Amino acid sequence: MSRLRPGYASSDMNNMVNHPPRWSLWQPGNRHLFGYLLLLPAVLLTAAIIVYPIIAAIDLSFQKIKIAKLGRSRAPLTLANYEELFQAPEFYQAIWVTITLVAAVTLLSYVIGLATAVLVNQRFRGRKLARILVAVPWAVPSVMAAIIWWWLFDSSFGLINWALVRSGLSSEMIPWLSTPGAAFFVIVVVMVWKGYPFISVIMLAGLQSIPLELYDAAKVDGANAWNRFRFITLPGLRSVRGIALILIMLWVFRDFPIIYILTGGGPQRTTQTLAIMTYQEAFKFHDFGFAAAIGVITLIISIIASWFMVRRSDQPIY
Amino acid sequence: MARSRRESVILYALVITVIVVLVFPLYWMFNTSLAPGTQLRRFPPVFVQPEPTFAAYERIFNERPVGVWLRNSAVVAVASTALSMFVSVLAGYSISRIRARGSQSIGLFFLMSRMLPSTLIIIPLFVSFRQLQLIGDLKSLVLAHATFITPFAVWMLKGYFDTIPAELEDAAMIDGCNPLTALLRVVLPLSAPGLAATTLYGFVLSWNDFVFARTFLVANQNAWTVNVGVASLKGEYLTEWNEIMAGSLIAMLPIVLAYLFLERYLVSGLTAGSTK
Repeated sequence: MSRLRPGYASSDMNNMVNHPPRWSLWQPGNRHLFGYLLLLPAVLLTAAIIVYPIIAAIDLSFQKIKIAKLGRSRAPLTLANYEELFQAPEFYQAIWVTITLVAAVTLLSYVIGLATAVLVNQRFRGRKLARILVAVPWAVPSVMAAIIWWWLFDSSFGLINWALVRSGLSSEMIPWLSTPGAAFFVIVVVMVWKGYPFISVIMLAGLQSIPLELYDAAKVDGANAWNRFRFITLPGLRSVRGIALILIMLWVFRDFPIIYILTGGGPQRTTQTLAIMTYQEAFKFHDFGFAAAIGVITLIISIIASWFMVRRSDQPIY
Repeated sequence: MARSRRESVILYALVITVIVVLVFPLYWMFNTSLAPGTQLRRFPPVFVQPEPTFAAYERIFNERPVGVWLRNSAVVAVASTALSMFVSVLAGYSISRIRARGSQSIGLFFLMSRMLPSTLIIIPLFVSFRQLQLIGDLKSLVLAHATFITPFAVWMLKGYFDTIPAELEDAAMIDGCNPLTALLRVVLPLSAPGLAATTLYGFVLSWNDFVFARTFLVANQNAWTVNVGVASLKGEYLTEWNEIMAGSLIAMLPIVLAYLFLERYLVSGLTAGSTK
């Protein structure tokens, strides 16, 4: 035992090996055991706080209960939550809101983010500072991003309303967050503001991995700026583009703070995504079984999306 | 890459426009935080404060428990990051180096867990924590935050360990190290920048959380984190915008500073698993 580090081999294992060579965790043949021991704390922790809760949530989604209590005898298995869900118009509305929000934010963030990355990839004085400044909103926590724009879009004293009225674009103050459509627009603005620098940063890393010789060679061959962008820059970004898009889509899909703080899903559920609906059903209406059923659907969508991301790992970078 | 004068002007104009549009909301936040309360509900808006005042900052610290909220955020972030880093260093090393059978599947599980919707996992966690009487207690947040820090940390750290040549450990073992001491004395010191970056990012992730803190701590104002506290400053009818902006600035300052240091690490860390 004395030769073994405490905690890394059980004593009964030690008793079995009285003949040489003495058993040791450090023998090359036991390397995999060492590997498992290193994984053990992480596996135990995640089993308790990730795997078990996921199983509990799935189990909950098949029970018709309002507020779940551990230890209380569980309700019988039923599909009632899912039946109710698939008949609820709110559910389809939430799916629609989620799809349009993800599409709008992703598309805008991608286009603006790519353009910004190309811009700050040019050589000019102050480029380093410019790169830092365009990345700043990415660092702003979602809660604070929501609060800043809340003030800018404030219906009575917000700067944006003042500018619109002042410039004659609007004849009256717009109650942004309580108007369907306008509220959705505000959410898109906040998410693009916070999300597109993230795309820029990733795209910039991709741009810097493209060898400059390619551009010089293309210029010699007479390619114009658009063709250089199309045939060198865009293909060169292939490795980072997919991951950037999936990460931003999943971020919008799963966002809680921005929507919750600004609108709580309203008005009339026009900004209620599946994630917000899950939360509201559980913690506002205390319908835990029903909420878990929506949550399980969001989990399945997340798994499919992240599976696409993982699958990309098989592809070569270039 | 010679550029004509006209092209240079356009380039600078574009860069400056982009930066102004992006950064203006943050300037407006700062500007509002320095405004006296009398000025908030009046038009036209004041773009540069003629008499800036720190009264809003003083008020939120004196009349609201912002100091306590900041401390709570820091305590939770340190504890959840420490817990996550302990398990992630060992697991990341194992997945990077030892590659025992099945460890790749475990790695894949961590990669996918990064995408777990917090609005789902919060439901069973709430049920469990209530049973364990952890609701309203900062310990509930430490555990909840580990659910999203650990998967990130495992993959970021695996990426750093991948860059350290295995020959160094082999040499250390010839010199009398065993695999554990080789990890502790050779690999970890060499990964110090990666460890620092991952730790800092874990701290950022925890600090930024809203959904868990809002849900588990809502009934106990003295246990609020700074994000929950600042968001609560928005009143139903009347909001002192200078106070909420001052609070927001203080709450986000450590995070923005952390990002300045983290940016280059994050690009490789966030895309981990996609290009390798």
